Amino acid sequence: MEPTAQTTISRRNPAQVMRLSRLGSLHQCRLSFMRVLTRRMARENWSFARPKFDIDAKGVGVAVYTATGPARTYSLIAFAHDLPPEMRSDRVIATAWDATFTLFDGVPTDADIERLSKNVPYQEAGRVNEKSLSVSRANRSVRLWAHFVDALSQGRQPDSAQADAVGYLMRTTAVYGSGKLGAADREAIADRPELSAPFQAEMLSVYLTRVFVRDLVEHMARAKGGENAVPLAPETAQRLGIGNSTGLGMAPYIVNHPVLFNNWIMAREEAIARVRSVETATAEEAACFRRMLRRSELSAARWHSEHPVQIEKLASLRKDLEALAAWVASDDLRNDRPWDRLIRWSGTALSLEGQELAASLILEPYAELVDGLSDCMADANKDAFIINGAMPVSQVRSLLQDSFGWALDLDWGARENCARAWYVSEEKLEPRMGERFDEPIANYEQPLAPARDAALAHAALAGWDAEAPVAAFLLRHPEHRHTVRRAQMSQAAPYGEIRSNTISDRVLPVDMLRAKLSFFGATHFDPRSDRWVRICMYAGAPYPEDLTTANADLWVYPEADQ
Amino acid sequence: MSYALNEVEATAKRAARGAGYDWGLAEEAAKATRWLCAQGLDGAAVLARLLEAGFAAELQAHAPQGIEGDWLADAPLCPLATGAALSDCAARLRDMPMAIGPVAQPAMILPFAATAARQLGACVTVAGEGFQAVTDGAALHCEGTLPDAAARLTIGAAGSLPDPNPGRTRAEPAEAAWAALNRFAHKSYAPATEESRLLGAGAGLSDND
Repeated sequence: MEPTAQTTISRRNPAQVMRLSRLGSLHQCRLSFMRVLTRRMARENWSFARPKFDIDAKGVGVAVYTATGPARTYSLIAFAHDLPPEMRSDRVIATAWDATFTLFDGVPTDADIERLSKNVPYQEAGRVNEKSLSVSRANRSVRLWAHFVDALSQGRQPDSAQADAVGYLMRTTAVYGSGKLGAADREAIADRPELSAPFQAEMLSVYLTRVFVRDLVEHMARAKGGENAVPLAPETAQRLGIGNSTGLGMAPYIVNHPVLFNNWIMAREEAIARVRSVETATAEEAACFRRMLRRSELSAARWHSEHPVQIEKLASLRKDLEALAAWVASDDLRNDRPWDRLIRWSGTALSLEGQELAASLILEPYAELVDGLSDCMADANKDAFIINGAMPVSQVRSLLQDSFGWALDLDWGARENCARAWYVSEEKLEPRMGERFDEPIANYEQPLAPARDAALAHAALAGWDAEAPVAAFLLRHPEHRHTVRRAQMSQAAPYGEIRSNTISDRVLPVDMLRAKLSFFGATHFDPRSDRWVRICMYAGAPYPEDLTTANADLWVYPEADQ
Repeated sequence: MSYALNEVEATAKRAARGAGYDWGLAEEAAKATRWLCAQGLDGAAVLARLLEAGFAAELQAHAPQGIEGDWLADAPLCPLATGAALSDCAARLRDMPMAIGPVAQPAMILPFAATAARQLGACVTVAGEGFQAVTDGAALHCEGTLPDAAARLTIGAAGSLPDPNPGRTRAEPAEAAWAALNRFAHKSYAPATEESRLLGAGAGLSDND
């Protein structure tokens, strides 16, 4: 990406930003992919329709939702199933779901739907073609679903406390894109303006899934209650999001795509630097920040987790919010680079959760400084893969030193520093993490410990002539090729490497999941273990029929009167 | 069956790893296989035939002995190790063409000639007995038939692209080759145990809440 705005405050140092503990405390911001999508759809006045809703009283059938932008139409094809409880699992290895989906490129014919109906419900066991841009599935939140259907069928609105406690009626357990199961490659759609930002097809699929879920719960209530049934109150519907349950499968992604991940982090860091460089804020800008801070307090109050680590982080966050409120009450936020002062203070007074929330929040008043950076978040630099074999050994060592100086002297033989190993299981080909010394997995280890590998390569290079081209080294040491490639990538991608040990006995894979999901725009991270997290997407967002430029962006912050 | 190029790349990477190549070369194999498929060639079949040769176990015997001079060897050269070295040494091609050989699956050299061409900003020509291929990095023009083995290849910064093949966005690998790649890929997967099922992914088994 090429930063253009004038900044007097520089971006934060990768050594500070890329620690896993901080990445695991990131919050959504203006650059989050859901918000990029809803802003665009509102700005371009997309139109939406439901050309098919052919679902029976048992909740079995198919529905189609279309979203039409300036150049193209996309369709969510939703297959609804009647799933017995014993088959309901949010593991990626499940084989049946309450609902399955594909985002279709264009408007499907009956023949398309017929073909897809024989494949999409089977997910990994089925095949789609390049007309599908994503494949996904979702399960009901069983208790909340039953409560909603019962209440609505009897003419009552569901209990809002119960709704808030869960936050969604269905949660997705995988949203596959980019070539998975035969779908179109990312490269085939990346030059379309509406899909050029990362994960826009996937985000659109989830946005339309939320509409389907609302319609389906009303349909089931009508099927059960007949004339007594009432539709869901719009304010309740708006508060519902779509849940997502994400396991380890997603964690390797940010390690396997260092340039892409760099572009996400660098865009946000550039945005933070730009806003920190603002000398004086207008009254409206200061007021905007105060409003979003208040609304963040509401969001934090609705954020629940039963995981001990997250409970502690939430307690810190709530204290941080009190401290933030006190700080902004004593400052007019207008003069002497108010946002830089706030960020510098936050580094001394708040936990990582609070620091990163503050960093995201200061971006809110500055659409014009920030939003254009979303164009820099895709990875178009395919040549970053190519190794420059002419680079001298000394320069490669120096690049390794830059990203992994902290790791070079670590005792990588010590059990606690390499206790874990990442591998792919033969069963469902899902990435997993295991105990290196207790399970027979070391021979199957995936290259997901860049710090350890950097230390090994750095040591191996030490015996070589500093001026020798690295090509000569690589010819004799192909085992370090992936590490040399990453080191060279770091020249263009300073935020591409996690600066923590991804195989230590204390690593928390949920931190990697959260880093990625925060860029989607997810909220209410609820780790269920150290390697599995539930989140909420689109809670508060306007439904298609209500989407306007006035409500397309800040929906992620709950309003006080809701 | 039609496959996404990302599927080809992912499967090729796992297959090369399963066949014993280090991760960096498995990544090269993946990109190279994808590139061949994008040119309309069956990259999966080329890779499958290469992996069946089993060079990875003794790779140094099938790699150039040094980066200088021509790369002539007794045992057949592995086009992944040799191709990667060729791409790493792309600047050499500016001065004069080089000879390498014998090379197994010379088609697998072409993607590396392409990355060399991209670095040079010029076309690279790969010639062997019965064929000549020119690439500008993006596209490929090939005359003749690519053999399973070439005694000697001449590679240089030369040529132009009169009539490049149109790029493909899907791959249709031969079924047997695709199955072979999946067999190799399978060797990179850890056998599932009940313990790993429960511990490894970290999720509970029921979603009824």
